[in-house]
Amino acid sequence: MDDVILCLCTWSTWLDIAMVVTLCVLLLAGFPAAFTLAGTALIFGLWGLAVGAFDPSFIAEPFPIRIFGTMNNTVLLALPMFILMGVILERSKIAEELLDTMAKMFGGTRGGLGISVMLVGALLAASTGIVGATVVTMGLLSLPTMLRRGYDPGLASGTIAAAGTLGQIIPPSIVLILLGDVMSNAYQESQLAQGIFAPKAVSVGDLFAGALVPGLLLVVIYLLYIGGVALFRGHKAPAVPPEERIALSEIGPRLIGTLVPPVLLIVAVLGSILAGKATATEAASIGAIGALLIAGSREDCGDRLSRLLSFAGIIAIIILIILNETLDLRLGRESNSFLEKTGIITALMTCGVLALSIVAASRALFQRAILWPVLKKTAEVNGMVFTILIGAALFSLVFKGLGGDETIAAALSQTPGGVVGAMIVVMLVLFILGFFLDFIEITLVAIPIVAPALLTMGVDPIWLGVMLAINLQTSFLTPPFGFALFYLRGVAPPAIRTTQIYRGALPFVLIQILMLIILAFFPDLATALPSAIYG
Amino acid sequence: MSPLFIGLLTIMILVCLLPWLSHMGQGSNIAQKILTQIERLVRGAFYLSAGCGLLIALAQMAAVISRNVFGVNFIWLQESAIYLFAAMFLMAGGAVLLMDAHVRVDIFYARWTEKRQRWINLAGLHFFVIPVGLLIIWASAPYVHTSWSSFEGSQDPSGIQGVFLLKTLIPVFGALLIMAAAVRVGDLLEGRRHG
Repeated sequence: MDDVILCLCTWSTWLDIAMVVTLCVLLLAGFPAAFTLAGTALIFGLWGLAVGAFDPSFIAEPFPIRIFGTMNNTVLLALPMFILMGVILERSKIAEELLDTMAKMFGGTRGGLGISVMLVGALLAASTGIVGATVVTMGLLSLPTMLRRGYDPGLASGTIAAAGTLGQIIPPSIVLILLGDVMSNAYQESQLAQGIFAPKAVSVGDLFAGALVPGLLLVVIYLLYIGGVALFRGHKAPAVPPEERIALSEIGPRLIGTLVPPVLLIVAVLGSILAGKATATEAASIGAIGALLIAGSREDCGDRLSRLLSFAGIIAIIILIILNETLDLRLGRESNSFLEKTGIITALMTCGVLALSIVAASRALFQRAILWPVLKKTAEVNGMVFTILIGAALFSLVFKGLGGDETIAAALSQTPGGVVGAMIVVMLVLFILGFFLDFIEITLVAIPIVAPALLTMGVDPIWLGVMLAINLQTSFLTPPFGFALFYLRGVAPPAIRTTQIYRGALPFVLIQILMLIILAFFPDLATALPSAIYG
Repeated sequence: MSPLFIGLLTIMILVCLLPWLSHMGQGSNIAQKILTQIERLVRGAFYLSAGCGLLIALAQMAAVISRNVFGVNFIWLQESAIYLFAAMFLMAGGAVLLMDAHVRVDIFYARWTEKRQRWINLAGLHFFVIPVGLLIIWASAPYVHTSWSSFEGSQDPSGIQGVFLLKTLIPVFGALLIMAAAVRVGDLLEGRRHG
């Protein structure tokens, strides 16, 4: 018996590493990750208790506080609303119509269809921010079209997979919101560890601003690549036959109908965050309600009256924004000019119209059996994400209790090459983790473990966040394990061979690596915009 | 720990025995009937959670407009978005398990036989989900109890005075997980599938 106890005790210094290894093995068994995380933590927590590595109160006291911290978190509150916005745009066929119009617009030239798929993908990515959803939607909508028009299957699938992963990096992305929360905690932790007691903060807005330029640059390089293929390997990306194009005079009104509303919505949401007018959470609410109204004002989503009312709601939001920018409408001040009084009354009436239009749009979407599935899907995605968050919280509590954070910090500080070496190691490890784990798990489990150590070594938090996001995006695109490729395989016609998908993704992986190298040498690409906006 | 929580833990452990009772006792189907009601409860919580989705956006937008446009700050409005948000994800967790919509690492899982997948799920439900649910109830007991003993309210006098109710959602989440796990175990034992 003594021998057994001795044996278990000599393990106590290794428990943290054993815990990570066990987690990886158990995750591969395929039970839902949220519970595998929490379950592994529970097993090792009990083991740690048995060998006296820590006290039970070390887990029992902070765990509910951590859960409550998640519930009471105004940053994470943005998530359900952005998810709602994305699901509405996805389910109300807005993306489908966009792609159709764009393809008809650009389809006439070689490579034009590929370029429109990439552009719509980027737009959809900006609006939903969910990789799986974007890849599946784009795969279902555009892959058959591209193949029918004679596109090379590799190029077509590579384009779609790459366009789908843009959802991670182009704000407002869900990854960046989660990363924002994780990064700001890690940053505070590392500053406190260095004895800085008035720590600087990183916000989701910082990360959005930081990711904007690199994200758009990526889109540009992608487009250049597709253009290059069309130019030099024309047979891989042929033009659409003339009879399938539409006249320029027809494009105008269609474009206004399909392209303008979602683009306006994204610009309004992102713009208000970047301009510092609203937090990500506040903007997300406008985004979700805006998406609801846009969906309600579409032809196939309601009767005439509700369409009209939904449209009035969109106008009402615009009027409110304009009024707010031009007049001081605050209530309860001493002196109001006549203009301001009129403004206040107009604004109140506009709010009434807005409320009415929301009711009308909801009712119409409900009757068309769109609203309830959308809400169920939103609740499902949220339940999933936050269950992982709770599992990850337990995991990191036990991991830290076993001294895991010190082990990681020590390992990173001993890496040859100092900060650069440590950064490269972290990037490689996360890249490989990206083959097995979804971004949510990596962001919530792995990054909180490694980020404080890197930040203490002097790495800029925004740059680090953007590098990590692009790195994960690359990982999801890399054969044979990349998640985006899995999703695409799931919806691609069986005639496309898996090797074709892999080969098509490779050039985009190289572009991603190029982007990482560019960003490593020119960190200003990520840090200049946030510091210009937020100082 | 207060007797209330000991009672809750006991009930939850009994709930976990239900699928096995129903599986073994061929004649009596009381256990199965109780499980059906439990499933209804978990799904009902999910419907509430789905409804919260739209309400969060409405409450948050109302708070944004009233504060940014009219300069009126309703603390309770901002707080209600938080309450709805917490209720949304905590009440959905169990049902997501029921719908089998939690993300898996399915590199190997997807290729395995149905029998093997069933074993993995049964093991995971018993060794991961149920113990974790019990842990959540056990760990949150003193935390929630303290909050109830003073009927903890908002830090702001004009806020919602129901933080103790908000915190109660934590053990509710644990209980929903266990109940969903019990229903799933029952289905796996009888070879039923869930949509």
